[in-house]
Amino acid sequence: MAHQTRRDFLKTAAIAGATLTGISSNPTKAAQQNVLSENRMGVLVDTTVCIGCRKCEWACKTAHNLPTQPLESYDDKSVFKSMRRPNDKELTVINEYPARSWDDYPTTVKVQCMHCDKPACVSACIVGAFSKVENGSVIWNGDKCIGCRYCMVACPFQIPAFEFEKALKPDIKKCDFCFDRTKEGKLPACVEICPNEVLTYGPREELVRVAHQKIQLYPKRYINYIYGENEVGGTSWMYLANRHFKELQFPALGGSPAPGVSEAIQHGIFAYFVPPIALYALLGGVMWINKNRKPSDSDSEGRHE
Amino acid sequence: MKKMILSLIVAIPLLISAQTKVGDNHASAPGLKCLTCHSCPIPTKENPCLKPCPREGMIRIDQKPEDGPKIIIIDKFKKQSDLYMPVRFSHLAHAEMSEMGGGCRMCHHYNPPGNVIGCSECHEVSRKRADVSKPDLKGAYHRHCMDCHRAWTGGTDCNYCHLPNGANRPLPEKSKADESKKRIHPKVETPEKILFSTNTNYGKTVLFRHQEHNKVFGFDCSDCHSNESCVKCHKAQKTIEVSKLSAADKHKKCLECHDTKSSCNMCHSNKETNAFDHMAKTGFDNSKFHGELACIRCHTTKGKFTGLSPDCNSCHGIWTQSNFNHKITGVVLDETHSGAECKDCHQEKNFAKPVCTNCHDDKSFPANVPGKLIPKGWIPIKKNK
Ligand code: SF4
Ligand code: SF4
Ligand code: SF4
Repeated sequence: MAHQTRRDFLKTAAIAGATLTGISSNPTKAAQQNVLSENRMGVLVDTTVCIGCRKCEWACKTAHNLPTQPLESYDDKSVFKSMRRPNDKELTVINEYPARSWDDYPTTVKVQCMHCDKPACVSACIVGAFSKVENGSVIWNGDKCIGCRYCMVACPFQIPAFEFEKALKPDIKKCDFCFDRTKEGKLPACVEICPNEVLTYGPREELVRVAHQKIQLYPKRYINYIYGENEVGGTSWMYLANRHFKELQFPALGGSPAPGVSEAIQHGIFAYFVPPIALYALLGGVMWINKNRKPSDSDSEGRHE
Repeated sequence: MKKMILSLIVAIPLLISAQTKVGDNHASAPGLKCLTCHSCPIPTKENPCLKPCPREGMIRIDQKPEDGPKIIIIDKFKKQSDLYMPVRFSHLAHAEMSEMGGGCRMCHHYNPPGNVIGCSECHEVSRKRADVSKPDLKGAYHRHCMDCHRAWTGGTDCNYCHLPNGANRPLPEKSKADESKKRIHPKVETPEKILFSTNTNYGKTVLFRHQEHNKVFGFDCSDCHSNESCVKCHKAQKTIEVSKLSAADKHKKCLECHDTKSSCNMCHSNKETNAFDHMAKTGFDNSKFHGELACIRCHTTKGKFTGLSPDCNSCHGIWTQSNFNHKITGVVLDETHSGAECKDCHQEKNFAKPVCTNCHDDKSFPANVPGKLIPKGWIPIKKNK
């Protein structure tokens, strides 16, 4: 094992070094895209009209070629017995929170990547595998990823998931705002299927205006708060609710962008003027090992998802 | 130049028609407040600042179930959706069911004066659209349906209304009912009274006189039952038994009029409480002239029913021959008496039985009538709530 590891290390460090040298000679390709376009799109999630039908879960899987049970099986509400998180096989999940009174319905909340305006995952990724693109989506590029999983640590919403069960070329999986669909002019799959239009797709700026208008027009229906309007510098996906977001397990985050843990490391490298390429090669090498090893702690993590 | 004239010719009638349209709508909606539809105090043509969906005061349809369409085939999404076939919606059945909860307005939440407008006049068919301030058509439909159906089926079973596309089955048997001539949902009868058992110290029972609340107190079904879902009556599905409700929930409806904190004995008792009798309770007989009025017409402070004087003038102001139509009492005064002052005959503050002895030694009412009697059965006051 030790022998293997060292051989791997040397090999991959060399590869990483070579790759990164290649990239550094072509900086436009290397730098991750991180644009905050004025016309970026977003989704306003109105949890007060979500009925928990889970059609969005089905549509998301289908659009991303992930294995799925037949559509009718999503009527099964027993999954609500435990709280779920998006994972490498389900990029979005619906969780249910019990009704507060006998004449009320439970609240169901869709969880997926928030597509932050100042995405911690983008900052944290040392090889630029993550990008925030023109239309607001935060997307991931498998060719660049070295499997370091800094994004998973950095994300304030614990969104990026790692395919721990895959031995060969595991990927980071997360909601990509249906980038492949939207670039063809289609709606994100979950937005398209939702029977109640819980998910309103539109320019983020317009959605913020509409959300404020809704709160003003129906003060009994909504609490006066738009989750995501300012959280960690604003997110493309935003939520309305009729109860405090804490009750719905939304993390209480301030308005300043999350300083991803790994961002500090990356910036540290530059601060000491160490030729980044050498460090990248080293760091990359370590991470490459990490990626190909199946860590026992993450293994158990994978199970209780 | 030619072009300009041409465009003017085209534009003028357009402008005029646009203006008259707005004018017409405004004129036929008297009593409507500007702020119902406009969000700014001074709307202009350039910036009418229209609210996306004004509701309050804007519903002007009130039809009987049989006046609407029987069945609507919802096939507007045929091109979009490949999952389900068009839905066969029994408008009649739903209209009948909505009678108790508020009628048409339960779904038609916006309908300015004029014809009944369909959902798609406001809600766009396409989900990809510029104006996202109101839900698209698919969203609007489902939000209405699921508001009740979620409680009705206890889930979100799509196949309850939809057939999956390509399904080679006939439409559900239940929808056959709407081809018959009969009502689909029976008319909801108002129970005369409902007896609740309680285990409080104030008394073992609460007798709720339901019809009294409708007929005497003038409540419409929807005053209490608005937007109520079917499971309120249909116990087949999971509902909460009254006994399991918290004390606050049990009293919620009553609290709107009754003081449930301090006057427990008004409803709680060990024996059947008496029907409401205004005369017995207050000494004021309201049956003669005030019987058709809703309580709130006189008792204007919500929940406070005391403190009114039985003197007519305390509510009606000072009566004179010129501002009082004596006909409503059942007596049309003759010429001599219509010149007299009220107090010449009515000396009591409640204007009860007149006295004749002020002028006549040998006359008395009702043996002698100061004019003409109006035949019995003539209803003096129009029903006015
Ligand atoms: S499809 Fe829409 S209504 Fe159904 S669970 Fe998802 S967000 Fe909620
Ligand atoms: S939610 Fe997490 S993964 Fe999604 S953009 Fe924000 S930081 Fe990145
Ligand atoms: S936007 Fe696309 S990827 Fe994201 S949750 Fe919806 S369907 Fe899934």
